[in-house]
Amino acid sequence: MSDFIYLDNAATTFPKPSGILESALEFYQKYGVNPGRSGTDLAQEAEAVVAEARKSFASFFGATGSSDRLVFTQNASDSLNIAIQGVLKAGDHVITTCLDHNSVLRPIYHLAKYDGVEATYVPFDGAGYIDPNAIAQAIRPNTKLVVMSHASNVLGTVQPVAEVGAICQARGVILCVDVAQTAGVLPIDMEDMQADILCFTGHKSLMGPTGIGGMYVRECVDVAPLRYGGTGVRSEYPDHLDEYPWRLECGTGNLLGIAGLLNGQKWIAREGLGNIHAREKALLQQLVNGLREVDGVILYCADNLKDHVPVLSLNVAGMTANNVGTLLDVKFNVATRTGLQCAPKVHELLGTKDLKGTVRISLGPFNTEAHIETVIEGLADIASRHGKG
Amino acid sequence: MALKTVTLGGKEIEVDEDGFIQTPELWDEAVALDLAKQDGIAEMTDDHWEVVNYIRNYWLKFDIAPLIRRLCKETNKDIDMIYDLFPNGPADGACKIAGLSTPTGCT
Repeated sequence: MSDFIYLDNAATTFPKPSGILESALEFYQKYGVNPGRSGTDLAQEAEAVVAEARKSFASFFGATGSSDRLVFTQNASDSLNIAIQGVLKAGDHVITTCLDHNSVLRPIYHLAKYDGVEATYVPFDGAGYIDPNAIAQAIRPNTKLVVMSHASNVLGTVQPVAEVGAICQARGVILCVDVAQTAGVLPIDMEDMQADILCFTGHKSLMGPTGIGGMYVRECVDVAPLRYGGTGVRSEYPDHLDEYPWRLECGTGNLLGIAGLLNGQKWIAREGLGNIHAREKALLQQLVNGLREVDGVILYCADNLKDHVPVLSLNVAGMTANNVGTLLDVKFNVATRTGLQCAPKVHELLGTKDLKGTVRISLGPFNTEAHIETVIEGLADIASRHGKG
Repeated sequence: MALKTVTLGGKEIEVDEDGFIQTPELWDEAVALDLAKQDGIAEMTDDHWEVVNYIRNYWLKFDIAPLIRRLCKETNKDIDMIYDLFPNGPADGACKIAGLSTPTGCT
């Protein structure tokens, strides 16, 4: 489908920049042995790339501690599960927000239901932002952890995590930030954020393949392992190793994914993170400006795009989100994401649950002004033919 | 998922909160007519039946709903026509009337 327009980059970026996957595959075909598991030169070559990736991503996220604390996982959900379940125990209190994804909500729900953890969900305001003071007010004597997304995957609003970080630091509470929607989009500095744990995925704006993600855990925090097994070192020990990265990694890692992730990061460095984001923000502004003129289109939390990643949620009056998405897909060859986007509490507060969520448009580095024009025309057509505006 | 029992085509049939029947084997044309009425379709025309029967037969053969582009092509109807016939759309409208279960696309 040559005129296919992909606007679901918040789910995963597509296509990936040319060369990233090809180069990773070439590396894998040459060095795809078990990294660090033997003394052969080949295994050392493979391990060198893993070590380079740890250093590179620790630096990318502004971590000042050891790159050994950069742990590779499957994706952000995997990282968040490890962080949340590895920090909280019975009797602890955790704070999260109504903007967060099920990758945060469901582990917390599980711990609250079965393991005696208490949870508070802080709502967002009418513009889609969390008030740091509301986090401060929710802190209790037994609050162990605040976990929140850097940017909403539904609304695109970038949250004041540095202010929350300062509060957490002052109150002795661990802050875990989900940067699934911002890694590779915005500059991220763990020190500025005062984040103790950062969870990321590789397949979104970091431009890696699916199946690779990671987390960085600062020295002041320890996360208990959820899984135990082979590490390739000190195999005589019956206990799983305490040291990072092995503490949170076991079994053979995703070498091909790590190579792809590293290539993605290099591509971002070549293009310039700020340049990519500026282009996407300009397209987002074009989209919002155009849609404001379309009768029957309802935009959510898009009055001011200053603190936004290029994600927009909308509905068409009188229609469910999935029907709008179907028409965009089949009639206009535009792929969007409809539904609750795995963030049900956002829709509870927005009042969009009965509409089956929203239509989410999320932009990537390969979208163009022509794509935006098509989606505006498409939504105008859908609203006038099938909506009840 | 909350289920309830309703009368469709003279039978007691369990449906989910979106009205999709839970026992596809109980589907027949009388059930389809009642499901259509619930969706505000006063009369099932030949065009309605062509779409419903295509979906039903495809599902019986492959145990999955047809892709919407395929549905349009095989029934020679564009997507606007499908929506004109089934205001709730091909998935929540036509597939429901054809007795398929709730679409499981990620929400």
